[in-house]
Amino acid sequence: MSKTETNQSLEDSAGYWQEVRSRLWHKKPAMFSVAFIILLIIAAIIGPFLTKHTYYDQNLKLSNIAPYFEVYKINQQDQEPTYFFMNQGNFKLYQVNEQGELQGILRTKRKDMLKKRNIYQFDQTKIIVDYASLPVKLVDIEGAPLASEGTWLNASYMFGTDSLGRDILVRLLYGARISLTVAFVATFVNFFIGIFYGGISGYIGGMTDNIMMRIVEIISTIPLTLYVILIMVVLESGLLAIIIAIGSVFWVDMARIVRGQVLSLKTLDYVASARSMGANMYQILVGHLLPNAMGPILVTMTLLIPSAIFIESFMSFIGLGVSVPMASWGTLTAEAVETLRAYPYQLFFPATAISLTMFAFNFLGDGLRDAMDPKLKTS
Amino acid sequence: MLRYIINRIALMFVTLFLIITLTFFLMHAIPGGPFTSDKMLAPEIEAALNLKYHLNDPVWLQYLNYLKSVAMLDLGPSFKYPGISVNDMILDGLPVTLKIGALALLVVIVLGVPMGILAALKKDHWQDTLVMAFATIGIAIPSYVIATILLFVFALKLGWVPTFGLEEWRSYILPVLALSGFYLSYVARLTRSSMLDVLDQDFMKTAKAKGLSPMRILIHHGLRNALIPIVTVLGPVVANLLTGSFIIEQIFALPGIGRHFVLSISNRDYTTIMGITIFYACFLMLMILIVDMLYLIIDPRIKLAGKKS
Repeated sequence: MSKTETNQSLEDSAGYWQEVRSRLWHKKPAMFSVAFIILLIIAAIIGPFLTKHTYYDQNLKLSNIAPYFEVYKINQQDQEPTYFFMNQGNFKLYQVNEQGELQGILRTKRKDMLKKRNIYQFDQTKIIVDYASLPVKLVDIEGAPLASEGTWLNASYMFGTDSLGRDILVRLLYGARISLTVAFVATFVNFFIGIFYGGISGYIGGMTDNIMMRIVEIISTIPLTLYVILIMVVLESGLLAIIIAIGSVFWVDMARIVRGQVLSLKTLDYVASARSMGANMYQILVGHLLPNAMGPILVTMTLLIPSAIFIESFMSFIGLGVSVPMASWGTLTAEAVETLRAYPYQLFFPATAISLTMFAFNFLGDGLRDAMDPKLKTS
Repeated sequence: MLRYIINRIALMFVTLFLIITLTFFLMHAIPGGPFTSDKMLAPEIEAALNLKYHLNDPVWLQYLNYLKSVAMLDLGPSFKYPGISVNDMILDGLPVTLKIGALALLVVIVLGVPMGILAALKKDHWQDTLVMAFATIGIAIPSYVIATILLFVFALKLGWVPTFGLEEWRSYILPVLALSGFYLSYVARLTRSSMLDVLDQDFMKTAKAKGLSPMRILIHHGLRNALIPIVTVLGPVVANLLTGSFIIEQIFALPGIGRHFVLSISNRDYTTIMGITIFYACFLMLMILIVDMLYLIIDPRIKLAGKKS
């Protein structure tokens, strides 16, 4: 690490962090990211309790329902009017009530395969789903198109349902739990291994350092994605396996950074004076060196989180992630790709969630780095 | 120079040996033999298969045999597709993976570097903002999300390009774009910051004072120095373009190595997983070695004698 950075971290610690905080405060993207991450964590923790749906309950009768639909109304004598909509993917009719809550699938009276139309009967009125030519039309008995009541939001399933009739919103929130848990735990594992390894290597120096860094060099030539995949194959996929796989691999960068910091910090006078007062290696490392190296470590950690989220979703996407019926954002995306043609909304939510989260952590990491960068301070 | 290269190659072989050992024992740590999951298999047939593939031998003997065959560039038979060797699979998929990877690398360099230069030269202008916005999006959105969005918009909705296969040149557009997205952004950002550093240097002012043409200053003095950090990351970029292609090949249904690899994972075809991993590792390390050699040639300031961590 550069000399300026070392000097900087030696400045009065409280003042330095105060300054970093105030500089970070003025970075709009970083602050938005912090707000987003906090909201996401809260949503992931309490969100699933606030809905009556669960991530594993299937309702095949209500599968693939979009989050919004175009509603039509049938007036009936001596009865409440009936509201219904047509699913744009499978062309079935579903009944809804006035609040937009799903009431169930409507039964066809007759399926006319030859004329390519399905006939539905409501008391006196007949409705025909005409799929002889695309786009599929909803017409009455004379063949005139029905007048729509407008587009309503799905009140039963805010984000719609997937191909097994499970609520996408609650699955997304569970996915957030899994993705965030994996990301944070794996990052902490990396953090501890990296600090331990890099700290010892940098502090002892000499031959030990040489050998330890050679090992790091060898590990960093192994393509890490392959290594994670191998571990996942061996350990049988699951939450713990992902954490172990990611946690045991990505510490290399952290170790390098900690080593660099320790190497440049340990020659300073206060370390010598601590040693002369009888402090042992552990006390010097934990009490003196690491707190002063915290800046770059923190930035690395923040940027490790999105890569952990990415690796987890990557693994889930190729089928090595959490096991069904659990869902992570990667499995949700992979499931959505299968039904992409008919139900694109299923891709929209997990893709947006993962992209926004990656944005947030990247912005936060960049903001932190800028806030700690001594170059910016002088200019 | 020669000593350094020999050193590097030696280190490469050590790493390779470690990778082979690690993969071998990891695969053998999985409980059950490769045929135990096949319920249709009669016990006699399983015994015969075990005998045929020497699975009854002690593990160390199997390991030595495997090492021997890998040294002869033979990665063994696939356990799931009878009669097909892992070598066949790799040779079958390699052209596709290489084509996509090379095109993506080309896109990364040909588009990423000029984008970064433009952003640096027009710092704080709209060009800079545009490039940086693009780069931020490219870094934050995972490649498989980009791939599916591209697939949905351009192949399914607009129908401009085919949804799968590689029959015509247009089929290459989406996979290459999706694959290069992240590194395009990464290289653009890196070029920008390294160019900004260089533009600040004294030798740029000297060149200007000497009355050189702006173009010559930019290319001869600016770019040559700004490109050095970019060359250093090219090794990892090549590595990641190739491993990143698993998912891209999966989404666009391209018959490359990545697809074989993902399939072999879901089939639990252990010899194939092992073989392709080793192949990938070899290939990537070779790439990194080549890039590091290039780096030496481009930047004569590097003193090899003093090269210690």
